[in-house]
Amino acid sequence: MHIGRTLEALQSIFPDAPLAVETWPLDETVVTLSPEHIRPAVRLLSERFKLRHLSTITGEDTGGEIVLLYHFWDGRGLTLRTTLPREGPRIPTLTGLVPGALFYEREVSEMLGVEFEGHPGGAALLLPDDWDDGPPLRKEPL
Amino acid sequence: MTRLTIPSGPQHPALKEPLSFQLTVEGERVVESALRIGYVHRGIERILQERTYLQNVHIVERVCGICSHAHTTAYCQAIEALLGLTVPPRGVAVRVLLCELERIHSHILWLGVLAEHIGFTTIFMYTWRDREIVLDIMEELSGGRVAHAVNVIGGVRVDVGPQQVAGILARLDELEAEIENLAQLFQHEQTFQVRTRGVGHLPREEVWRLCVVGPVARASGVDVDLRRDAPYASYGQLDFRVITAKGGDVWSRTMVRTLEIAESLRLCRQILRDLPEGPLKVRAPRRVPAGQVVSRIEAPRGELVYYVRSDGSDRPARVKVRTPTLTTLITLKQQLQGVNIADVPAVLSGVDLCIACADR
Repeated sequence: MHIGRTLEALQSIFPDAPLAVETWPLDETVVTLSPEHIRPAVRLLSERFKLRHLSTITGEDTGGEIVLLYHFWDGRGLTLRTTLPREGPRIPTLTGLVPGALFYEREVSEMLGVEFEGHPGGAALLLPDDWDDGPPLRKEPL
Repeated sequence: MTRLTIPSGPQHPALKEPLSFQLTVEGERVVESALRIGYVHRGIERILQERTYLQNVHIVERVCGICSHAHTTAYCQAIEALLGLTVPPRGVAVRVLLCELERIHSHILWLGVLAEHIGFTTIFMYTWRDREIVLDIMEELSGGRVAHAVNVIGGVRVDVGPQQVAGILARLDELEAEIENLAQLFQHEQTFQVRTRGVGHLPREEVWRLCVVGPVARASGVDVDLRRDAPYASYGQLDFRVITAKGGDVWSRTMVRTLEIAESLRLCRQILRDLPEGPLKVRAPRRVPAGQVVSRIEAPRGELVYYVRSDGSDRPARVKVRTPTLTTLITLKQQLQGVNIADVPAVLSGVDLCIACADR
């Protein structure tokens, strides 16, 4: 993956503001996008750059907001970062573009209560069937 | 034809770990399957947030009972990156040596499980006998057969003495001879071929679509291995081949893993013959500066990912663990489609499931 060209292409589909890019240790490039830009960005990356390997999705409740990190990999890491409100967090699913996102989205939804709109659903993945305590990775129960 | 749904698990006489699946069959053919994990979910990601960086080394070692050293390697690599620490060369060498010994042990264990599931008990006995060779070496080095507690933040805590090297090399030769026999057997033994060829087929394109990693991906012709493609530790200076196969079935997965054992043996020899001098570790501070990191390594089952965010205190704000089994579980629905009931155990064991890993 040529990171410079990838970032240029991402910038070209979101021309309104300069792309927020940072670098983490171990060669990870991180791009922060608004929630509605995640899907178009992933479509561009997977169709034009053949960036098909989604390593996982990390969700975190920082206390003020819900952070989602989509970790992609193709020789080096590229993470797409977005934030959602703590009240009723929702974002369109990626499963149509990256079918491998199925379990990752379900896990984030169980652990943090994020709704992935259009996710095919299915039985619970990790929590017991009779779990009624709210998402366990939330800072305080909803 | 009448459809019948057979529930199985989570407690099951054949599977060693709790996994529940429902198979809908028409006669002997599986037409639909549904899987459920989570029976050994321990909430490890939450536990990690509540303990110090130091204590967490012992927690992540217990995510998995087979690839425990892979977990501490990925975790320590993440924290060392946040601290800006460089592990001394001898520490890196011992760390990689254990990684490869563990890969050998994990792959041999898997060969035995598969052999047992297809009714080839003799091979199960032989492989698990040979696995003792590598378990003995790891026990001699670290004091533990499966939980080695070798990694610490900043390096490793055990050394390989000069008098130990010769003994280990001799035992690795012994093991290599056995592995060559096994490779020959899997290549030519007819019963084995009948039970594994074409079973649990996963085409290359599906591997990409479902983001599958490790030996399962390589057995479907996807040439990916983090040790070569994004070298960490000392893999950039070591000489090894990445094994791939085209078949995408249980037989190809067997060949990939068997030949990977041979490559890992070569890697162990290279490390033991070229052990650098010097210290094993550097001192690591208790507090970690604020920052975020994604650490990836090639565990025995494929890409293992640790994400760590530090807020500057002595405990991580968030640790995310993605184990390779979570990527291969997703393929089972497709692999089970249309197989004979008798082949279900071969398909399930073929992907090398580690349920404790997937549940965390």
